Amino acid sequence: MTQPVRIAQLSCGPEYSGIQHEIDEAAREVGGEIFYPDVALKDIRRDFTKFGLDVKSPDLKLAIARAIALVEGRVEADAVFIATCFRCAEAAIVRNELRRYINEHSRLPVVSYSFTERTTSGTLLTRMEALTTIARRRALLARETQKGLTLGLDSGSATTKAVVMRDNRIIGTGWQPTTEVIKSANEVIAHALSEAGVTRDEIQAVGTTGYGRFLIGKEINADLIQEELTVNSKGAVYLANRQHGPATVIDIGGMDNKAISVMDGIPGVFTMGGICAGASGRFLEMTAKRLGVEITELGPLSMKGFGGRVPMNSYCIVFGTQSLVNALAAGSTREDVAAAACHSVAEQVYEQQLQEVDIKEPVIMVGGTSLIEGLVFAMGELLQTKIVVPPYSQYIGAVGSALLASGFIKDD
Amino acid sequence: MTAYTPTHVGSVTKYVMVESFDITPADLALRGYEISKGVMIKETCFGLVISGKEEEVDRIVTELRKIDPDHIFVKDRGFPPGDARRCRANLGGARPGYNGLEFEMSIIPYVSHGLEALKNIDEKTVPPMENPLERPLLDIYKLKKLIDAQES
Amino acid sequence: MVKVFIYPATSLILSDMVARFGHTPLSSATAIRERIQTAGLESPPLQITPEEPKKGLKWAAVEVPAGVRGRMSLYGPMIEACEAAIIINDADLAFGCMGCARTNELIKFLVHQKDIPRLELNYPKNDDEGVKFVAAIKRFLTELGEAK
Repeated sequence: MTQPVRIAQLSCGPEYSGIQHEIDEAAREVGGEIFYPDVALKDIRRDFTKFGLDVKSPDLKLAIARAIALVEGRVEADAVFIATCFRCAEAAIVRNELRRYINEHSRLPVVSYSFTERTTSGTLLTRMEALTTIARRRALLARETQKGLTLGLDSGSATTKAVVMRDNRIIGTGWQPTTEVIKSANEVIAHALSEAGVTRDEIQAVGTTGYGRFLIGKEINADLIQEELTVNSKGAVYLANRQHGPATVIDIGGMDNKAISVMDGIPGVFTMGGICAGASGRFLEMTAKRLGVEITELGPLSMKGFGGRVPMNSYCIVFGTQSLVNALAAGSTREDVAAAACHSVAEQVYEQQLQEVDIKEPVIMVGGTSLIEGLVFAMGELLQTKIVVPPYSQYIGAVGSALLASGFIKDD
Repeated sequence: MTAYTPTHVGSVTKYVMVESFDITPADLALRGYEISKGVMIKETCFGLVISGKEEEVDRIVTELRKIDPDHIFVKDRGFPPGDARRCRANLGGARPGYNGLEFEMSIIPYVSHGLEALKNIDEKTVPPMENPLERPLLDIYKLKKLIDAQES
Repeated sequence: MVKVFIYPATSLILSDMVARFGHTPLSSATAIRERIQTAGLESPPLQITPEEPKKGLKWAAVEVPAGVRGRMSLYGPMIEACEAAIIINDADLAFGCMGCARTNELIKFLVHQKDIPRLELNYPKNDDEGVKFVAAIKRFLTELGEAK
């Protein structure tokens, strides 16, 4: 058995919210082990003062001292998990600053999370898996070129995607909305194979990612089953040809959004959000439906409008849609409404998630929503930067999987 | 979620800490074992952990206190001794409460001194401690003094 | 014997003083012991389940963080049950059960709301203060016993 990945927990509150065992369980499921960096009282006093953030909660002082012990190498760890109570301002400040501090001063991958009593191991699983992957599979993630003939499959909550790659080129793709998970996967695989002109037997290695990765991975006997945080980061910098140095990857998905701060293709800090559907691709789908256009037409439509002319009083998918309906009834143009919807999603992701990662250029947008140019434009405006949308961006997870899977081809 | 069946129901666990030049936790343990009558006693770096039926634990604690009443301190513990959920070996580091205890152990010598002193004086004759809630922000005469000091 | 709520509730010193001078300290350990020795759903390490933050709604509204409400489910009943209280105000390094400043503010407020004998102090910083500290506590606890 391999050694568990040692994940240092810096936290305030999980034991008292009744969710500590959910954290422990999520870590255990992906071969990790939660531990608390050991510090003495004199370390806490010295390091808390040295850090200079004068918080009042003793457990946050302890978290600060533990973070410094990790960065200075007095306590060894493979990864760091920072968790504090949702809605605690004091803890949110500490969480952010520790995340930034660890990221800047060490190579430890960090994930931060604000929990409620409803947090389950399921919600934490992908994040923990990404942490253990980064810690354990640095060699695999270092891969920069695809070789041989490989298949990548991304079984997402909204859509299923497949690509076939040969010698660093994409030669076949398949895409469709996710209905029955296995059926959708088989169909997109068949499409990608036929477009590539190869048979399943010729494929040398297969990788899966996305929500359905475990189910499909087992079904099609995948060599690599990997969460979408590391896979999408890898796919993004590969397709954007930015494999070296820093980058920020934004993926606004059907069910949740990812914001990943990447260095040399490996995630350093990342967040996954999914509390509100108003900040997801789903909201844009609903907007398109209400405007009577295909989702593919929403982007061009929104580029002709100006969102500022439409009052949007809520980020909620229900009330947000209501605002758009009201605006249409009050005479707003469809173009303005489309632009307002794009702005609303971009703004919510910006306010709620991008604050948790350090935005470093280039900013790469991926996933199906990156094809909605109004959304990309709105995000660029908010971040004051030109956003990179690489070719095949909607296939990001599948491409990342196919790329990484080539590490599993056995040399004859 | 799985069902939880507690162990040690009805038992109590207490820490007996010692902060003294004259006796060590080992001395305390030795005396504890003599009178334990089957009650679980475990040595730690600060003192002992005693666990069993409440009357039994209280009896031993009362006896142990007699050895050096001003330097032996007792507190309840929620977990039975060696519980894996709180054990340093399993957690990779001390539970947070340990650092709090570490802090109070640095204050204990002053408390011991107080206990010793009060054997010879009536506590009613000791002037009260400043109430931290009633302390004025800055005394007006003190402020005047500060201003004068600045000007000179 | 009077039930005396101690703050910090994890304090060795206060727990000892209250018991030494003949009363019952209400501390974190006794609240945790109750959780640990009660059958229910498995929720290590403290046997505080996600139900506890919901019970905490009695003392703090739903927009208050789960960690505060979970802690209040331990302390709320103790504050209701206590007949006297000793509060050390400069307890800035009490971790774990007393690790959240917002909970601690609420605990102190609720204790202040109760019409019960209360002693407010700081930790002693030297031998002289040690004498005053022990004398104040001894006096307070003795008077409690006499009043009873």
